[in-house]
Amino acid sequence: MDEQLLSKTFVELADNLVADFDLIDFLRLLTDRCVGMLDASAAGVLLADRDGKLRVMAASDEQVRVLELFQLQNDEGPCLTCFRTGAPVIVPDLTREIDRWPRFVTAAHRGGFGAVQALPMRLREETVGALNLFRAAPGPFDPSATLVAQALADVATISLLQQRTTQRSTVLNEQLQAALNSRVLIEQAKGKLAERQGIDMERAFTALRGYARSHNRRLADVARAFIDESEPLYGLGA
Amino acid sequence: MGPESRSARIRTLVAEQAARRGDRVGVVDVCTAAVAALPVGGAGVSAMSRTAPSHPLCSTDSVSGQLEELQLTLGEGPCVDAFLHGSAVLAPDLLTRDLQDRWMVFADAALEAGARAVFALPLQMGAISPGVLDLYARVPVRLNAEEMADALAFADLATLVLLDARIDETGGPRDGPVEDLGAYRAEIDQAGGMLTVQLGVGIEEAFVRLRAHAYAQGRRLGDVAADVVARRLRFPPDAEPDQAGEDP
Repeated sequence: MDEQLLSKTFVELADNLVADFDLIDFLRLLTDRCVGMLDASAAGVLLADRDGKLRVMAASDEQVRVLELFQLQNDEGPCLTCFRTGAPVIVPDLTREIDRWPRFVTAAHRGGFGAVQALPMRLREETVGALNLFRAAPGPFDPSATLVAQALADVATISLLQQRTTQRSTVLNEQLQAALNSRVLIEQAKGKLAERQGIDMERAFTALRGYARSHNRRLADVARAFIDESEPLYGLGA
Repeated sequence: MGPESRSARIRTLVAEQAARRGDRVGVVDVCTAAVAALPVGGAGVSAMSRTAPSHPLCSTDSVSGQLEELQLTLGEGPCVDAFLHGSAVLAPDLLTRDLQDRWMVFADAALEAGARAVFALPLQMGAISPGVLDLYARVPVRLNAEEMADALAFADLATLVLLDARIDETGGPRDGPVEDLGAYRAEIDQAGGMLTVQLGVGIEEAFVRLRAHAYAQGRRLGDVAADVVARRLRFPPDAEPDQAGEDP
Protein backbone atom coordinates (compact mmCIF):
# COMPACT_ATOMS: atom_id res chain seq x y z
CA MET A 1 0.00 0.00 0.00
CA ASP A 2 1.42 3.30 -1.15
CA GLU A 3 0.91 5.62 1.85
CA GLN A 4 1.25 8.76 -0.20
CA LEU A 5 -1.29 7.64 -2.77
CA LEU A 6 -3.60 6.62 0.07
CA SER A 7 -3.62 10.00 1.76
CA LYS A 8 -3.81 11.77 -1.58
CA THR A 9 -6.89 9.73 -2.48
CA PHE A 10 -8.73 10.48 0.74
CA VAL A 11 -7.93 14.17 0.41
CA GLU A 12 -9.21 14.09 -3.15
CA LEU A 13 -12.43 12.34 -2.11
CA ALA A 14 -12.99 14.79 0.73
CA ASP A 15 -12.37 17.67 -1.67
CA ASN A 16 -15.05 16.32 -3.94
CA LEU A 17 -17.67 16.09 -1.20
CA VAL A 18 -18.43 19.77 -1.59
CA ALA A 19 -21.84 21.37 -1.16
CA ASP A 20 -23.11 20.78 -4.66
CA PHE A 21 -21.36 17.55 -5.58
CA ASP A 22 -22.86 15.01 -7.92
CA LEU A 23 -23.38 11.64 -6.27
CA ILE A 24 -22.88 9.40 -9.30
CA ASP A 25 -19.82 11.32 -10.45
CA PHE A 26 -18.39 11.06 -6.95
CA LEU A 27 -19.01 7.34 -6.65
CA ARG A 28 -17.43 6.77 -10.05
CA LEU A 29 -14.34 8.59 -8.83
CA LEU A 30 -14.34 6.37 -5.76
CA THR A 31 -14.55 3.18 -7.81
CA ASP A 32 -11.78 4.43 -10.10
CA ARG A 33 -9.56 5.03 -7.08
CA CYS A 34 -10.34 1.54 -5.77
CA VAL A 35 -8.97 0.16 -9.00
CA GLY A 36 -5.92 2.42 -8.96
CA MET A 37 -5.04 1.94 -5.34
CA LEU A 38 -6.23 -1.48 -4.26
CA ASP A 39 -4.91 -3.65 -7.06
CA ALA A 40 -8.48 -4.26 -8.27
CA SER A 41 -9.44 -4.79 -11.90
CA ALA A 42 -12.99 -3.54 -11.48
CA ALA A 43 -14.98 -1.98 -8.67
CA GLY A 44 -18.62 -1.19 -8.14
CA VAL A 45 -20.84 0.48 -5.55
CA LEU A 46 -24.17 -1.27 -5.10
CA LEU A 47 -27.12 0.10 -3.23
CA ALA A 48 -30.20 -1.82 -2.11
CA ASP A 49 -33.58 -0.62 -3.28
CA ARG A 50 -36.56 -0.95 -1.02
CA ASP A 51 -37.24 -4.46 -2.21
CA GLY A 52 -33.75 -5.39 -1.02
CA LYS A 53 -32.47 -5.68 -4.59
CA LEU A 54 -28.93 -4.49 -5.19
CA ARG A 55 -28.54 -1.86 -7.86
CA VAL A 56 -25.32 -0.55 -9.35
CA MET A 57 -24.77 3.08 -8.41
CA ALA A 58 -21.32 3.37 -9.97
CA ALA A 59 -18.74 1.11 -11.54
CA SER A 60 -15.19 1.59 -12.66
CA ASP A 61 -16.30 0.20 -16.01
CA GLU A 62 -19.76 0.79 -17.44
CA GLN A 63 -19.59 -2.02 -19.97
CA VAL A 64 -22.69 -4.18 -19.92
CA ARG A 65 -20.49 -7.23 -19.40
CA VAL A 66 -19.15 -5.82 -16.14
CA LEU A 67 -22.44 -4.35 -14.93
CA GLU A 68 -24.02 -7.76 -15.42
CA LEU A 69 -21.57 -9.25 -12.95
CA PHE A 70 -22.87 -6.85 -10.34
CA GLN A 71 -26.49 -7.33 -11.32
CA LEU A 72 -26.19 -11.09 -11.30
CA GLN A 73 -25.46 -10.94 -7.60
CA ASN A 74 -29.08 -10.28 -6.83
CA ASP A 75 -29.45 -14.03 -7.10
CA GLU A 76 -26.13 -15.22 -5.72
CA GLY A 77 -22.62 -14.04 -5.04
CA PRO A 78 -20.39 -12.32 -2.52
CA CYS A 79 -22.20 -8.98 -2.73
CA LEU A 80 -25.54 -10.50 -1.83
CA THR A 81 -24.00 -12.43 1.05
CA CYS A 82 -22.22 -9.31 2.25
CA PHE A 83 -25.41 -7.26 2.05
CA ARG A 84 -27.45 -9.88 3.89
CA THR A 85 -24.95 -10.51 6.65
CA GLY A 86 -23.52 -7.01 6.93
CA ALA A 87 -20.03 -8.53 7.06
CA PRO A 88 -17.17 -8.41 4.54
CA VAL A 89 -16.94 -11.33 2.13
CA ILE A 90 -13.46 -12.10 0.86
CA VAL A 91 -12.92 -14.66 -1.86
CA PRO A 92 -9.23 -15.03 -2.78
CA ASP A 93 -9.90 -17.79 -5.30
CA LEU A 94 -13.23 -17.91 -7.09
CA THR A 95 -12.67 -21.40 -8.53
CA ARG A 96 -13.17 -22.78 -5.03
CA GLU A 97 -16.66 -21.28 -4.83
CA ILE A 98 -18.08 -22.78 -7.98
CA ASP A 99 -20.49 -24.98 -6.00
CA ARG A 100 -21.59 -22.12 -3.79
CA TRP A 101 -22.22 -19.60 -6.60
CA PRO A 102 -22.19 -21.53 -9.88
CA ARG A 103 -23.66 -18.82 -12.11
CA PHE A 104 -21.73 -15.99 -10.58
CA VAL A 105 -18.38 -17.78 -10.65
CA THR A 106 -18.87 -18.79 -14.27
CA ALA A 107 -19.73 -15.24 -15.28
CA ALA A 108 -16.82 -13.81 -13.28
CA HIS A 109 -14.38 -16.18 -14.97
CA ARG A 110 -15.80 -15.25 -18.33
CA GLY A 111 -15.18 -11.62 -17.38
CA GLY A 112 -11.57 -12.46 -16.59
CA PHE A 113 -11.80 -12.25 -12.80
CA GLY A 114 -10.25 -14.67 -10.32
CA ALA A 115 -10.80 -13.05 -6.91
CA VAL A 116 -13.45 -10.83 -5.35
CA GLN A 117 -14.17 -8.84 -2.23
CA ALA A 118 -17.41 -7.33 -0.97
CA LEU A 119 -17.39 -4.73 1.80
CA PRO A 120 -20.60 -3.67 3.54
CA MET A 121 -21.89 -0.11 3.38
CA ARG A 122 -23.23 0.28 6.88
CA LEU A 123 -25.30 3.02 8.33
CA ARG A 124 -26.06 2.79 12.00
CA GLU A 125 -27.66 -0.64 12.34
CA GLU A 126 -28.51 -1.00 8.71
CA THR A 127 -26.58 -2.32 5.72
CA VAL A 128 -27.59 -0.20 2.75
CA GLY A 129 -25.31 -1.65 0.07
CA ALA A 130 -21.84 -2.94 -0.69
CA LEU A 131 -18.56 -2.04 -2.33
CA ASN A 132 -17.56 -4.83 -4.68
CA LEU A 133 -13.98 -5.30 -5.86
CA PHE A 134 -12.85 -7.70 -8.57
CA ARG A 135 -9.29 -8.77 -9.26
CA ALA A 136 -8.00 -10.64 -12.29
CA ALA A 137 -5.49 -12.87 -10.49
CA PRO A 138 -6.50 -15.23 -7.68
CA GLY A 139 -4.53 -15.03 -4.44
CA PRO A 140 -4.81 -13.65 -0.91
CA PHE A 141 -5.86 -10.06 -0.33
CA ASP A 142 -3.53 -7.80 1.62
CA PRO A 143 -5.31 -7.25 4.97
CA SER A 144 -4.26 -3.61 5.07
CA ALA A 145 -5.80 -3.09 1.62
CA THR A 146 -9.04 -4.62 2.90
CA LEU A 147 -9.07 -2.05 5.71
CA VAL A 148 -8.67 0.71 3.14
CA ALA A 149 -11.44 -0.81 1.04
CA GLN A 150 -13.75 -0.78 4.05
CA ALA A 151 -12.85 2.87 4.66
CA LEU A 152 -13.76 3.63 1.06
CA ALA A 153 -17.06 1.79 1.48
CA ASP A 154 -17.72 4.02 4.50
CA VAL A 155 -16.93 7.12 2.43
CA ALA A 156 -19.40 5.91 -0.20
CA THR A 157 -22.05 5.59 2.53
CA ILE A 158 -21.33 9.09 3.78
CA SER A 159 -21.68 10.49 0.29
CA LEU A 160 -25.19 9.03 0.05
CA LEU A 161 -26.19 11.07 3.05
CA GLN A 162 -24.46 14.22 1.85
CA GLN A 163 -26.21 14.47 -1.48
CA ARG A 164 -28.15 17.58 -2.20
CA THR A 165 -31.63 17.45 -0.77
CA THR A 166 -34.10 20.26 -0.97
CA GLN A 167 -35.74 19.23 2.22
CA ARG A 168 -33.83 19.29 5.47
CA SER A 169 -35.31 15.84 5.56
CA THR A 170 -33.00 13.32 7.09
CA VAL A 171 -35.25 10.48 6.12
CA LEU A 172 -32.88 7.75 5.08
CA ASN A 173 -35.36 6.03 2.79
CA GLU A 174 -35.90 9.18 0.84
CA GLN A 175 -32.19 9.82 0.45
CA LEU A 176 -31.56 6.31 -0.83
CA GLN A 177 -34.50 6.69 -3.18
CA ALA A 178 -33.06 9.95 -4.53
CA ALA A 179 -29.69 8.25 -4.99
CA LEU A 180 -31.23 5.38 -6.95
CA ASN A 181 -33.19 7.80 -9.05
CA SER A 182 -30.10 9.80 -9.96
CA ARG A 183 -28.59 6.57 -11.27
CA VAL A 184 -31.70 5.88 -13.37
CA LEU A 185 -31.32 9.33 -14.87
CA ILE A 186 -27.72 8.61 -15.85
CA GLU A 187 -28.70 5.28 -17.44
CA GLN A 188 -31.36 7.00 -19.54
CA ALA A 189 -28.88 9.63 -20.71
CA LYS A 190 -26.24 6.98 -21.46
CA GLY A 191 -28.75 5.10 -23.62
CA LYS A 192 -29.71 8.21 -25.53
CA LEU A 193 -26.12 9.25 -26.21
CA ALA A 194 -25.01 5.71 -27.06
CA GLU A 195 -27.79 5.45 -29.63
CA ARG A 196 -27.27 8.89 -31.05
CA GLN A 197 -23.54 8.51 -31.53
CA GLY A 198 -23.39 4.75 -32.08
CA ILE A 199 -21.05 4.24 -29.13
CA ASP A 200 -21.04 1.82 -26.20
CA MET A 201 -22.32 2.56 -22.67
CA GLU A 202 -18.91 3.19 -21.14
CA ARG A 203 -18.00 5.74 -23.79
CA ALA A 204 -21.40 7.36 -23.43
CA PHE A 205 -20.87 7.68 -19.69
CA THR A 206 -17.37 9.08 -20.15
CA ALA A 207 -18.64 11.64 -22.66
CA LEU A 208 -21.45 12.83 -20.35
CA ARG A 209 -19.12 13.03 -17.41
CA GLY A 210 -16.46 14.81 -19.46
CA TYR A 211 -19.02 17.35 -20.61
CA ALA A 212 -20.21 17.96 -17.04
CA ARG A 213 -16.67 18.40 -15.76
CA SER A 214 -15.47 20.69 -18.52
CA HIS A 215 -18.54 22.88 -18.09
CA ASN A 216 -18.39 22.78 -14.33
CA ARG A 217 -21.85 21.26 -14.09
CA ARG A 218 -23.33 18.44 -12.07
CA LEU A 219 -23.53 15.21 -14.04
CA ALA A 220 -27.21 14.80 -13.08
CA ASP A 221 -28.06 18.28 -14.40
CA VAL A 222 -26.29 17.62 -17.69
CA ALA A 223 -28.02 14.24 -18.01
CA ARG A 224 -31.43 15.77 -17.43
CA ALA A 225 -30.84 18.64 -19.83
CA PHE A 226 -29.60 16.16 -22.41
CA ILE A 227 -32.71 13.98 -22.10
CA ASP A 228 -35.16 16.87 -21.95
CA GLU A 229 -33.33 18.77 -24.71
CA SER A 230 -33.98 21.82 -22.62
CA GLU A 231 -30.74 23.48 -23.70
CA PRO A 232 -28.11 23.01 -26.38
CA LEU A 233 -25.23 20.80 -25.25
CA TYR A 234 -22.61 21.22 -27.93
CA GLY A 235 -20.45 18.17 -28.32
CA LEU A 236 -23.16 15.76 -27.21
CA GLY A 237 -24.90 16.09 -30.53
CA ALA A 238 -27.79 17.87 -28.88
CA MET B 1 -43.14 -8.38 6.32
CA GLY B 2 -39.67 -8.49 4.83
CA PRO B 3 -38.35 -5.71 2.65
CA GLU B 4 -38.11 -8.12 -0.26
CA SER B 5 -41.84 -8.22 -0.71
CA ARG B 6 -42.64 -4.53 -0.26
CA SER B 7 -43.39 -3.73 -3.90
CA ALA B 8 -45.36 -6.94 -4.31
CA ARG B 9 -47.35 -6.27 -1.15
CA ILE B 10 -48.15 -2.71 -2.26
CA ARG B 11 -49.15 -3.99 -5.70
CA THR B 12 -51.56 -6.43 -4.07
CA LEU B 13 -53.10 -3.73 -1.87
CA VAL B 14 -53.70 -1.55 -4.91
CA ALA B 15 -55.08 -4.44 -6.98
CA GLU B 16 -57.57 -5.17 -4.19
CA GLN B 17 -58.88 -1.62 -4.38
CA ALA B 18 -59.31 -1.94 -8.14
CA ALA B 19 -61.09 -5.27 -7.74
CA ARG B 20 -63.44 -3.67 -5.24
CA ARG B 21 -64.24 -1.02 -7.83
CA GLY B 22 -64.50 -3.68 -10.51
CA ASP B 23 -62.19 -1.89 -12.88
CA ARG B 24 -58.62 -1.81 -14.14
CA VAL B 25 -56.04 -0.47 -11.75
CA GLY B 26 -55.98 3.31 -11.83
CA VAL B 27 -54.15 5.97 -9.84
CA VAL B 28 -57.27 6.36 -7.69
CA ASP B 29 -56.67 2.81 -6.44
CA VAL B 30 -53.14 3.74 -5.45
CA CYS B 31 -54.61 6.65 -3.49
CA THR B 32 -57.27 4.64 -1.67
CA ALA B 33 -54.80 1.87 -0.88
CA ALA B 34 -52.29 4.41 0.45
CA VAL B 35 -54.93 5.96 2.72
CA ALA B 36 -55.83 2.52 4.05
CA ALA B 37 -52.20 1.58 4.69
CA LEU B 38 -50.73 4.83 6.04
CA PRO B 39 -51.64 7.14 8.94
CA VAL B 40 -53.17 9.71 6.58
CA GLY B 41 -56.70 10.95 5.95
CA GLY B 42 -56.62 11.36 2.22
CA ALA B 43 -54.53 11.21 -0.92
CA GLY B 44 -54.50 12.74 -4.36
CA VAL B 45 -52.45 12.64 -7.53
CA SER B 46 -51.79 15.54 -9.86
CA ALA B 47 -50.37 15.20 -13.35
CA MET B 48 -47.53 17.66 -13.66
CA SER B 49 -45.29 18.73 -16.47
CA ARG B 50 -42.64 21.34 -17.13
CA THR B 51 -44.09 22.11 -20.51
CA ALA B 52 -47.86 21.69 -20.15
CA PRO B 53 -50.41 22.88 -17.58
CA SER B 54 -50.70 20.63 -14.54
CA HIS B 55 -54.02 19.21 -13.47
CA PRO B 56 -55.43 17.08 -10.64
CA LEU B 57 -56.08 13.48 -11.62
CA CYS B 58 -57.86 12.11 -8.60
CA SER B 59 -58.36 12.48 -4.87
CA THR B 60 -59.93 10.35 -2.18
CA ASP B 61 -61.91 13.08 -0.46
CA SER B 62 -62.79 16.74 -0.72
CA VAL B 63 -59.88 17.90 1.46
CA SER B 64 -57.28 16.26 -0.73
CA GLY B 65 -59.16 17.51 -3.77
CA GLN B 66 -58.88 21.04 -2.41
CA LEU B 67 -55.19 20.57 -1.63
CA GLU B 68 -54.46 19.54 -5.22
CA GLU B 69 -56.42 22.49 -6.62
CA LEU B 70 -54.87 24.94 -4.17
CA GLN B 71 -51.30 24.06 -5.00
CA LEU B 72 -51.79 24.10 -8.73
CA THR B 73 -53.63 27.42 -8.52
CA LEU B 74 -51.22 29.07 -6.11
CA GLY B 75 -48.15 27.55 -7.70
CA GLU B 76 -46.76 26.79 -4.25
CA GLY B 77 -46.90 23.98 -1.74
CA PRO B 78 -45.30 20.61 -1.06
CA CYS B 79 -46.53 19.13 -4.33
CA VAL B 80 -45.02 21.95 -6.39
CA ASP B 81 -41.71 21.69 -4.51
CA ALA B 82 -41.64 17.91 -4.82
CA PHE B 83 -42.09 18.16 -8.56
CA LEU B 84 -39.55 20.93 -9.08
CA HIS B 85 -36.84 19.37 -6.94
CA GLY B 86 -37.60 15.72 -7.62
CA SER B 87 -37.55 14.78 -3.97
CA ALA B 88 -40.14 14.02 -1.32
CA VAL B 89 -41.38 17.00 0.69
CA LEU B 90 -42.54 16.19 4.19
CA ALA B 91 -44.58 18.66 6.18
CA PRO B 92 -45.52 16.86 9.41
CA ASP B 93 -47.19 19.97 10.89
CA LEU B 94 -48.25 22.98 8.83
CA LEU B 95 -48.52 25.08 12.00
CA THR B 96 -44.75 25.12 12.46
CA ARG B 97 -43.09 28.40 11.73
CA ASP B 98 -40.70 27.40 8.98
CA LEU B 99 -43.44 25.69 6.98
CA GLN B 100 -45.63 28.77 7.37
CA ASP B 101 -42.76 30.87 6.05
CA ARG B 102 -42.07 28.48 3.24
CA TRP B 103 -45.61 28.46 1.84
CA MET B 104 -47.06 31.77 2.93
CA VAL B 105 -50.43 31.35 1.24
CA PHE B 106 -50.71 27.59 0.89
CA ALA B 107 -50.01 26.74 4.55
CA ASP B 108 -52.97 28.74 5.86
CA ALA B 109 -55.26 27.69 3.04
CA ALA B 110 -54.43 24.03 3.63
CA LEU B 111 -55.07 24.37 7.37
CA GLU B 112 -58.37 25.99 6.62
CA ALA B 113 -59.25 23.15 4.27
CA GLY B 114 -58.65 20.72 7.15
CA ALA B 115 -55.09 19.47 6.57
CA ARG B 116 -52.47 19.65 9.29
CA ALA B 117 -49.76 17.44 7.79
CA VAL B 118 -48.94 17.09 4.10
CA PHE B 119 -46.53 14.75 2.34
CA ALA B 120 -45.74 15.10 -1.33
CA LEU B 121 -43.93 12.35 -3.20
CA PRO B 122 -42.77 12.92 -6.74
CA LEU B 123 -43.68 10.26 -9.28
CA GLN B 124 -40.42 9.73 -11.02
CA MET B 125 -38.09 7.40 -12.81
CA GLY B 126 -34.96 9.26 -13.78
CA ALA B 127 -36.00 12.07 -16.11
CA ILE B 128 -39.54 10.70 -16.30
CA SER B 129 -41.71 12.66 -13.87
CA PRO B 130 -45.40 12.56 -14.69
CA GLY B 131 -46.79 13.93 -11.44
CA VAL B 132 -46.93 13.96 -7.66
CA LEU B 133 -48.68 11.87 -5.02
CA ASP B 134 -49.98 14.00 -2.13
CA LEU B 135 -50.96 12.63 1.25
CA TYR B 136 -52.53 14.62 4.07
CA ALA B 137 -53.54 14.10 7.67
CA ARG B 138 -55.90 16.11 9.87
CA VAL B 139 -53.47 15.88 12.77
CA PRO B 140 -49.69 16.41 12.98
CA VAL B 141 -48.00 13.17 12.02
CA ARG B 142 -44.58 11.84 11.15
CA LEU B 143 -44.13 8.84 8.91
CA ASN B 144 -41.80 6.26 10.42
CA ALA B 145 -39.23 4.44 8.27
CA GLU B 146 -41.59 1.63 7.33
CA GLU B 147 -44.40 4.00 6.47
CA MET B 148 -42.07 6.18 4.47
CA ALA B 149 -40.81 3.18 2.50
CA ASP B 150 -44.41 2.16 1.82
CA ALA B 151 -45.31 5.69 0.76
CA LEU B 152 -42.39 5.71 -1.69
CA ALA B 153 -43.50 2.32 -3.02
CA PHE B 154 -47.04 3.67 -3.55
CA ALA B 155 -45.53 6.58 -5.49
CA ASP B 156 -43.49 4.19 -7.63
CA LEU B 157 -46.54 2.15 -8.44
CA ALA B 158 -48.55 5.29 -9.23
CA THR B 159 -45.85 6.21 -11.74
CA LEU B 160 -46.19 2.90 -13.54
CA VAL B 161 -49.99 2.99 -13.44
CA LEU B 162 -49.99 6.48 -14.95
CA LEU B 163 -47.59 5.50 -17.71
CA ASP B 164 -49.33 2.19 -18.44
CA ALA B 165 -52.62 4.05 -18.77
CA ARG B 166 -51.12 5.55 -21.92
CA ILE B 167 -50.53 2.19 -23.54
CA ASP B 168 -53.22 1.82 -26.17
CA GLU B 169 -55.78 -0.95 -26.35
CA THR B 170 -53.61 -3.29 -28.36
CA GLY B 171 -50.81 -3.65 -25.90
CA GLY B 172 -51.99 -2.56 -22.48
CA PRO B 173 -52.34 -4.59 -19.32
CA ARG B 174 -56.09 -4.88 -19.81
CA ASP B 175 -57.03 -7.58 -17.40
CA GLY B 176 -56.28 -7.38 -13.77
CA PRO B 177 -53.59 -5.44 -12.01
CA VAL B 178 -50.47 -3.92 -13.37
CA GLU B 179 -48.20 -6.85 -14.00
CA ASP B 180 -44.79 -7.11 -12.55
CA LEU B 181 -42.64 -7.08 -15.64
CA GLY B 182 -39.65 -8.52 -13.83
CA ALA B 183 -36.79 -7.22 -11.74
CA TYR B 184 -35.06 -3.93 -12.26
CA ARG B 185 -32.20 -3.93 -14.73
CA ALA B 186 -30.12 -0.97 -15.82
CA GLU B 187 -30.83 -1.95 -19.43
CA ILE B 188 -34.44 -0.87 -18.99
CA ASP B 189 -33.36 2.73 -18.46
CA GLN B 190 -30.66 2.55 -21.13
CA ALA B 191 -33.16 1.14 -23.62
CA GLY B 192 -35.58 3.95 -22.77
CA GLY B 193 -32.86 6.46 -23.60
CA MET B 194 -32.03 4.65 -26.85
CA LEU B 195 -35.67 4.61 -27.91
CA THR B 196 -35.95 8.38 -27.58
CA VAL B 197 -33.56 8.54 -30.53
CA GLN B 198 -34.98 5.61 -32.50
CA LEU B 199 -38.55 6.83 -32.16
CA GLY B 200 -37.86 10.55 -32.03
CA VAL B 201 -39.96 10.89 -28.85
CA GLY B 202 -39.48 12.04 -25.26
CA ILE B 203 -38.21 9.75 -22.53
CA GLU B 204 -41.67 9.21 -21.06
CA GLU B 205 -43.15 8.12 -24.38
CA ALA B 206 -40.12 5.93 -25.06
CA PHE B 207 -40.64 4.11 -21.78
CA VAL B 208 -44.36 3.66 -22.47
CA ARG B 209 -43.55 2.15 -25.88
CA LEU B 210 -40.98 -0.18 -24.34
CA ARG B 211 -43.51 -1.46 -21.80
CA ALA B 212 -46.22 -1.70 -24.43
CA HIS B 213 -43.96 -3.90 -26.53
CA ALA B 214 -43.19 -6.15 -23.56
CA TYR B 215 -46.90 -6.53 -22.76
CA ALA B 216 -47.83 -7.16 -26.37
CA GLN B 217 -45.15 -9.80 -26.79
CA GLY B 218 -45.74 -11.31 -23.36
CA ARG B 219 -42.05 -10.86 -22.55
CA ARG B 220 -40.23 -9.60 -19.50
CA LEU B 221 -39.38 -5.92 -19.71
CA GLY B 222 -35.73 -6.56 -18.85
CA ASP B 223 -35.36 -9.08 -21.69
CA VAL B 224 -36.84 -6.70 -24.25
CA ALA B 225 -34.60 -3.94 -22.93
CA ALA B 226 -31.52 -6.17 -23.13
CA ASP B 227 -32.32 -6.83 -26.80
CA VAL B 228 -32.56 -3.11 -27.46
CA VAL B 229 -29.27 -2.40 -25.68
CA ALA B 230 -27.53 -5.26 -27.51
CA ARG B 231 -28.94 -3.73 -30.72
CA ARG B 232 -30.81 -6.91 -31.59
CA LEU B 233 -34.13 -5.07 -31.52
CA ARG B 234 -34.93 -1.69 -33.02
CA PHE B 235 -38.13 0.34 -32.82
CA PRO B 236 -38.60 2.12 -36.13
CA PRO B 237 -40.39 5.47 -35.79
CA ASP B 238 -44.20 5.29 -35.94
CA ALA B 239 -44.40 1.60 -36.68
CA GLU B 240 -44.43 -1.66 -34.83
CA PRO B 241 -40.94 -2.77 -33.81
CA ASP B 242 -39.25 -5.40 -35.95
CA GLN B 243 -36.69 -7.96 -35.10
CA ALA B 244 -33.52 -6.58 -36.58
CA GLY B 245 -30.35 -8.42 -37.41
CA GLU B 246 -27.18 -8.18 -35.40
CA ASP B 247 -25.57 -4.81 -35.01
CA PRO B 248 -24.14 -3.90 -38.42
